[in-house]
Formats: sequence, structure tokens, C-alpha cells
Amino acid sequence: MEQLMSIDLIRCRDIKLRWDVILDEAGGRVAKTAVLAPSVPPAKISELQTADVNPPHPTTDHIPDLDQKSNFLPAISSLQSPTMQSLRLLRTAALRAKPMSSAIRAPVRRGYAEAVASDKIKLSLTLPHQAIYKATDVVQVNIPAESGVMGVLANHVPSIEQLKAGVVDIIEEGGASKQFFVSGGFAVVQPNSRLSINAVEAYTLDEFSLDAVKSQLVEANKIASGSGSEQDIAEAKIEVEVLETLQAALKA
Amino acid sequence: MAFAWKQAGVSYNKYLSIAAQAIRKSLKEQARAAAERRSGNELKVSRWENGKQGETKYLGTSEQ
Repeated sequence: MEQLMSIDLIRCRDIKLRWDVILDEAGGRVAKTAVLAPSVPPAKISELQTADVNPPHPTTDHIPDLDQKSNFLPAISSLQSPTMQSLRLLRTAALRAKPMSSAIRAPVRRGYAEAVASDKIKLSLTLPHQAIYKATDVVQVNIPAESGVMGVLANHVPSIEQLKAGVVDIIEEGGASKQFFVSGGFAVVQPNSRLSINAVEAYTLDEFSLDAVKSQLVEANKIASGSGSEQDIAEAKIEVEVLETLQAALKA
Repeated sequence: MAFAWKQAGVSYNKYLSIAAQAIRKSLKEQARAAAERRSGNELKVSRWENGKQGETKYLGTSEQ
């Protein structure tokens, strides 16, 4: 004997979408149908299949109300069924009510302005005493985060990164690249393709003197390996780390 | 290596000021002079009581 089993109900305003699975004696699935109706009592297969297009209940009257149909249409298509005919009929009936809109193919609504600006990131590189970049469109920014160097492009996941002393690499529009050595600070990636980098000091590499770096490095190394207090040694080690990074950046 | 300074009890704020100081000292002459002028901080404290400013105490400068 065939047995009818209702497995799911999706409520969409006042309309229920019910999936009926027909099982044979062994429990295997032989057919699956969907019914779009305010309330359809369990019935035989023949009734169910015709109910889709010519329902005994006035279901088609309700279909124009289905402006939320994108909620349940993917649910239909994601289910595999041996007999997809009734599903197809249901789908056609639902779509006839409102012509295929872009909302179904691409659920994310995109405006024209968004699409145009989407490949640029607005960078603000600010110091306490100067704004080097002020919401300028750039292509990519590589930042020395504590967790490692990371590249930020447009539409990056929003995040806050603590920076260590290192090179901020900015690829501007047109492919030109600018490098700043920053002292560390914070980089905040905001949801609308905005990147704010706040640092204490930032200078382009040509403003540094390699000799000054080297002489400082010698001094800092002396303190770091000396017999000062733990605090002094820790601070000297920071200095060594910063200066070594700077030296490597200048030599590169 | 990362956060080795944190274990020694150095805050990120202190890390930043050390790094910034190292950067200022590494600059070429002209830029360094301008930067060093900026780096110093002076602190004066005075207590206000009954709408009158009390004695001003000079707490020194952070110039390194």
C-alpha cells in the first residue's frame, strides 16, 4: 500500500506550502509533490498533482500575494525529487503571477552607485598632527598587522587590526605604489569599503637616513643585551625590533 | 616574538611611543628637527578651588 506523509510545512503569509512524500511498503520514496494551498487535506496523488494548476481550493488567487516568494523558491529547487513535474507546474504558476525578477536570480540588491565604486577602497591614513590620506580612493593597501601582513582590497570583511611598526604599502589608482613606514597603531576596515589607519608616526622611506638607523640599532642592542632592569631591556628590544624592520625596509 | 614586550609588562601605548621615538630619531636631519619639536610634551598641574586657580606645579617634560 502506498502511504502519504507530509514532511514539511512552510508558511508564507496565509499560504502553506506542503511537501508530500509518497512512500512504498519498503519505506522507499517513490514520489514527492508540493501543494500550494491555504490548507489542503491529505489526498490521493492524482488530486495532489492536479491541485497545483487547477486546485479545488482557490490557490491561484493567493499567488499574487507571494512577493516573498524568493524565500521559498530556493527551497523548492534545492530538493531533489524523482517526479519533478508537479514542482515545475507549481513553480510556473508562482512565477506567472510576477514575471521573473532579478531578485530571484541575484537576491542581493545592487544599486548603480554601489557597482561603480565597488573596486576602490577609501583610505584615510591619519596621524595626530597630519592627515596623509583623507578618504582617498585607492586600489589596495597592505598593512603590517600584529597577526601578519595583510592586503586590504575593496569590500573587505570589516575588522580592526592592531598594527606593529612596519611598511604600509598603498597601491593607488593607476598602479602607482606608495610606501610609508608607520610606528604602529590601528587599522579599521569599515563595512562600506572604508579603511582608516591611525598611527603615531608615518614617513615615506626616502625620509629616513640609514646611518641614523644603524647607529641607533647599535645603541639599542647594547641596552638589550646589557644588565639593565627588565623594563629597560624590554623597551630596548622593542626598539631593536622596530629598527631592524626599518633597516630591512630601507635596504629592500 | 610578537607580544614579547607584553609579557614584560609594557603596554601597547608604551610600545607605540617607543616605536614612534625610534622612527623620529631615524629621520634625515630636516624632517627630524620638525618631528622632535613635536615629540615633546610638557605638563603643568594646578588645582581649582572655589573658582580660583591654586598653585601651578610644573611636572616636567617628556623630552627624551
